[in-house]
Amino acid sequence: MITRSRMNRAQIIALLAPGLIVFGLFTVYPIIRLFMMSFCGIKLETMFVQPFCGLDNYVHVFSDPTFGTSFVNSIVYTAVTVPAQMALGLFIAILLNGIRRFSVTFRVINYLPVVTSWVIASLVFKYVFQTEGLLNYFLRTVIKVIPKNVKWLNERWGGMTVAMILGTWKGIGWNMVIFLAALQQVPKDLYEAADIDGCGAWKKFTHVTLPAIRGTILFAMVELTIGGFNVFTSIQMITGGKPADQTQTLLTWMYKNAFSLDHDIGYAAALSFVMAFTLGLLAVVQFRMMRSRDV
Amino acid sequence: MLKKILAVLLVCMMVLPAGLSLAEEEAVTINFWHHYNAQSPENETLMNVLIPAFEAANPGIKVNAVSHEWAQLHDKVLISATSDSLPDVARCDIAWLPEFQAMGILVALDEEMADFAEVSGQLLDSAMSTASIGGHYYALALNTNSKIVFYNVQMLQDAGIEVPATMDQWVEAVKALSGENANGQQTWGWNEPALAGWNICPFIWSFGGALLSDDQTVATGYVNGPATVKAVETFAQLVQAEAITGFNAGDIPMTDGFGMGRYAMMLEGPWKSAELEGNYPDVPYATAPIPAGEGGSISVLGGEDIAMFNTANKEAAWLFMQFMTSEFAETEMAKCGQIPVNKAALESDTVKGASFAPFIEAIQTAKARPTVAAWSEMDNDLQNALYYVVTGEKTAQEAMDELAAKWDTLLK
Repeated sequence: MITRSRMNRAQIIALLAPGLIVFGLFTVYPIIRLFMMSFCGIKLETMFVQPFCGLDNYVHVFSDPTFGTSFVNSIVYTAVTVPAQMALGLFIAILLNGIRRFSVTFRVINYLPVVTSWVIASLVFKYVFQTEGLLNYFLRTVIKVIPKNVKWLNERWGGMTVAMILGTWKGIGWNMVIFLAALQQVPKDLYEAADIDGCGAWKKFTHVTLPAIRGTILFAMVELTIGGFNVFTSIQMITGGKPADQTQTLLTWMYKNAFSLDHDIGYAAALSFVMAFTLGLLAVVQFRMMRSRDV
Repeated sequence: MLKKILAVLLVCMMVLPAGLSLAEEEAVTINFWHHYNAQSPENETLMNVLIPAFEAANPGIKVNAVSHEWAQLHDKVLISATSDSLPDVARCDIAWLPEFQAMGILVALDEEMADFAEVSGQLLDSAMSTASIGGHYYALALNTNSKIVFYNVQMLQDAGIEVPATMDQWVEAVKALSGENANGQQTWGWNEPALAGWNICPFIWSFGGALLSDDQTVATGYVNGPATVKAVETFAQLVQAEAITGFNAGDIPMTDGFGMGRYAMMLEGPWKSAELEGNYPDVPYATAPIPAGEGGSISVLGGEDIAMFNTANKEAAWLFMQFMTSEFAETEMAKCGQIPVNKAALESDTVKGASFAPFIEAIQTAKARPTVAAWSEMDNDLQNALYYVVTGEKTAQEAMDELAAKWDTLLK
């Protein structure tokens, strides 16, 4: 006789199976295979012959000067764009939280960059910032503040800055929506209590709002850090890693090695695990930081 | 008369059994992969003129031609190599051959085909050099291209400058054509869209320099030799004098810059004429050979070869390769803009009257980039080394010395 609980369990398994199978096949299995590949001397032309090469790929990653450049670029990109997006997103969310009229219109306007295609936005930014672009035209010809065109995209930090501005601009809307939802959950009576205690706007923000939305801040920070390390399209479209691979980030360098330079899949696999390990470490640090403030 | 009849009968007796035996056997199908665009006139000619003509001349052999995207074809060959599903013959970019050869999937034609010398002798030596790897030939040259100087006639006239014929004149012309135009916009004497081998080799070779030793095993003494260093130094000085640009991420794209009169000269291939005609039909331009230096007027070779894979039906594949490089096939393809490598086809009226005629002279002396398996990595190193020279972060000698040491390791 089949008991009710056993039937329930069968039902649960049946309901979960399709999702689990897809997740297992297309997420878990590729990760395991990729991990194995990172210990093999595998290139595209030897896809089916994968000689074990121990830690060679990892040694290659850490001795590769361009990996160092890409790693620093990814860290700087993340360190700049994550706080910038969060601060601006939160600022706009607070403004929107305080208004009633045209709230939807402003929300849509601020969210538009999020749904804009990365490729198109990157091309527009490239046209704005290229040496003969819109910005130089404005600065040199319209308001005449520079005597010569500035070569924004021709050197490492110029190119990276443009990508960072694009990343921030595109991310503000997402942060605004997340923070707006969180702000609407903050109990009104906390603000009333703060009013009674004689708190000003800044004190209310630092002592009521921020602690109340700490969970959302942590969520946004972890998500955006992963996103920051995954920057690809904007760099590929705006600088293409130029000049001399100095604006490569971890993902663009991984892509170049796997699909254009010499099809070194083993190296790219090792690089992806170095990146995953770094992201894991950063997530742990972020959780610890938030928890220590809790105490 | 009797002798003639006997001779004819003798020939018939020799040929007939061969023909009968081929007909008796099952029809052989050769798979031919190429990257002629499926909608292009080249593909039309291949499918409707060349393959029917080949099949008519070779009863018993069928050709199954498959069109791929350029990059897709390269990757498909790499992957098919490990799953034993390679075609018999493929039209390959000359840059792919060293990689395929290193994988051991190509047939060394000079070793396996008795009449290789006779067949390859009908093709241009410079183009055949693209198929020579480690002392053996792994393909037949199929079509070729090269780069020559495109210059803005008006800009040169306005500056009172003759078309540069020597490298010294070129340096002066590039400097003189740089500055500002009547609208206050910056102009550059020369555009170079990248710093890769395809871009810099013509200068290095024309200055008398080299990248590698003749047997392509050593870089030291060649890529850091005095003539190469001088070529790189001269190029870098012109970049620093804001007379050359185009390789930076923020620069005006080549065709636009040339079309709008911002770049006075550039080194480009036959495809540029159609591009300019489509986008800037009014730009007054003409072409000239690359200026001669101590090494002569040496441009860089591009183009495609036709290669046979070691899983092929070699007899039928070789017949097809001979046919594709024959005077007839090459002349037919020349009508679609493909520059032939068959010497007899190059003499035809079709070729002499074609839009690519000015390139034919350059092709006779042009050189191929190194045919070594590590070239893509070496080419990336070269671009990076040149960047440090043009930005003044390293001297030409320092950067080339470092590059030579790195290349020697890669060549081992």
